[in-house]
Amino acid sequence: MFSAFNKIFTPENLLFLLKGALISLGIAALSLLIGLVFGIIGASCKISKNKILRFIGNVYVEVIRGTPMLLQIMILFNVVPIIISQITGEVFRMNYYVIGIVAMSINSGAYTTELIRSGINGVDKGQWEACQTLGLTRWQTMRLVILPQAFKRIIPPVVSEFITLIKDSSLISCIGAIELMNSAKVLGNQYYEFMSPYCIAAVYYLIMTLTISYFSKKLERKLAESD
Amino acid sequence: MIKVEHIVKQFKSLKAVNDVSLEIKKGEIVCLIGPSGSGKSTVLRCINGLEIPEEGKVYINGQIYDPNNKETYSQLRSQMGFVFQHFNLFPNMTVIDNLTLAPIQVMKKSKEEAEKIACQYLQRVGLLDKKDEYPNKLSGGQKQRVAIARSLCMNPEIMLFDEPTSALDPEMVIEVLEVMKELANEGMTMVIVTHEMGFAKTVANRVIFLEDGQIVEENNAQEFFENPKTARAQEFLRKVMH
Repeated sequence: MFSAFNKIFTPENLLFLLKGALISLGIAALSLLIGLVFGIIGASCKISKNKILRFIGNVYVEVIRGTPMLLQIMILFNVVPIIISQITGEVFRMNYYVIGIVAMSINSGAYTTELIRSGINGVDKGQWEACQTLGLTRWQTMRLVILPQAFKRIIPPVVSEFITLIKDSSLISCIGAIELMNSAKVLGNQYYEFMSPYCIAAVYYLIMTLTISYFSKKLERKLAESD
Repeated sequence: MIKVEHIVKQFKSLKAVNDVSLEIKKGEIVCLIGPSGSGKSTVLRCINGLEIPEEGKVYINGQIYDPNNKETYSQLRSQMGFVFQHFNLFPNMTVIDNLTLAPIQVMKKSKEEAEKIACQYLQRVGLLDKKDEYPNKLSGGQKQRVAIARSLCMNPEIMLFDEPTSALDPEMVIEVLEVMKELANEGMTMVIVTHEMGFAKTVANRVIFLEDGQIVEENNAQEFFENPKTARAQEFLRKVMH
């Protein structure tokens, strides 16, 4: 029954999956970083005094969080290139990985918007008032007093967002990107045996996620110390 | 120095301050007292601009204090120091950085100059040895003394205190009151919202008693405590002076 089992455990295959794992990790990391930029912009919109900006921020967060990530990836993969082709009149193609990273960044940005916003709102109102009485401007207050304090609250949930992104990066296997999930599938197809490649993939995912959450817990404890 | 004319401040359906007028002269020490929810803190916050009254006007040094007039507003605000019940020190900065932040950012002082001034004020409140500590390492009384020093670094002409000892352990109250007394002796104009009747009696020139957002009685401190005129003030004093 498991005749193919031993054949799969070759250094080449393990390396092939490892490469997939690294691609998953890289995609997740890049998406997280770009997502953070979107998150900062989104959060600035949501806490702005301008009604229109607040509205845009809200729509972004609600639309992205209210629809499946797979759907967002598919729209970017199938629909957006057609629209661009229609407008420019030329055939538009985008790299699978780029599509994946863009989709995941936009998705992650909506979640980090909320993380950053709640981190900023979580800072005691008295801090704003103290700065106001000392004559600091809104921007000085934000930059020098509020953000450094919000930062500490934001770090732990951003790390769990990273873990989520590593797992969710498997979704872009649907559009043909060869990350960890797809690498396992390729191996399975090659040997007509799926159990072991999927199990190895699971182990790789676990190694990544557990390592990150281990360090995240350590960091959290360290941040809590100075409170 | 401070003139408040018919201010009204409403929070939803509650009129926190209902037509309050008062005047405070240079060098005067005025205590606002009254039961919880009487609007005394809101009056103080309106003077500083932490709350904007819906009606009425506030004048500082004869100039109207209006948030829409950006130039005079920030200039007038910088003449007032404000001390909060909960200190509101910046937990992400050391004591000395708490004190130098505004002088450097707002008054554009150099770091050395700001630190020199900060050290002088820390010395005055007796906390120079704590200058490199973070606020979470300080006791409540020490935090409040740092907060007072932080306000003084901006060289204000008026100091506003919003229940500065209410969040402190009983043992810590005295050290904060001592610092305030010293300020009073130096001739600082002070408006103090407080429940410390003994302090009000000895330090204040004038006492304003509020209830339900209105001034019930206003008199010099000695008269007020020894010979309150209104029945409400008599009842209040009977309950708090024991």
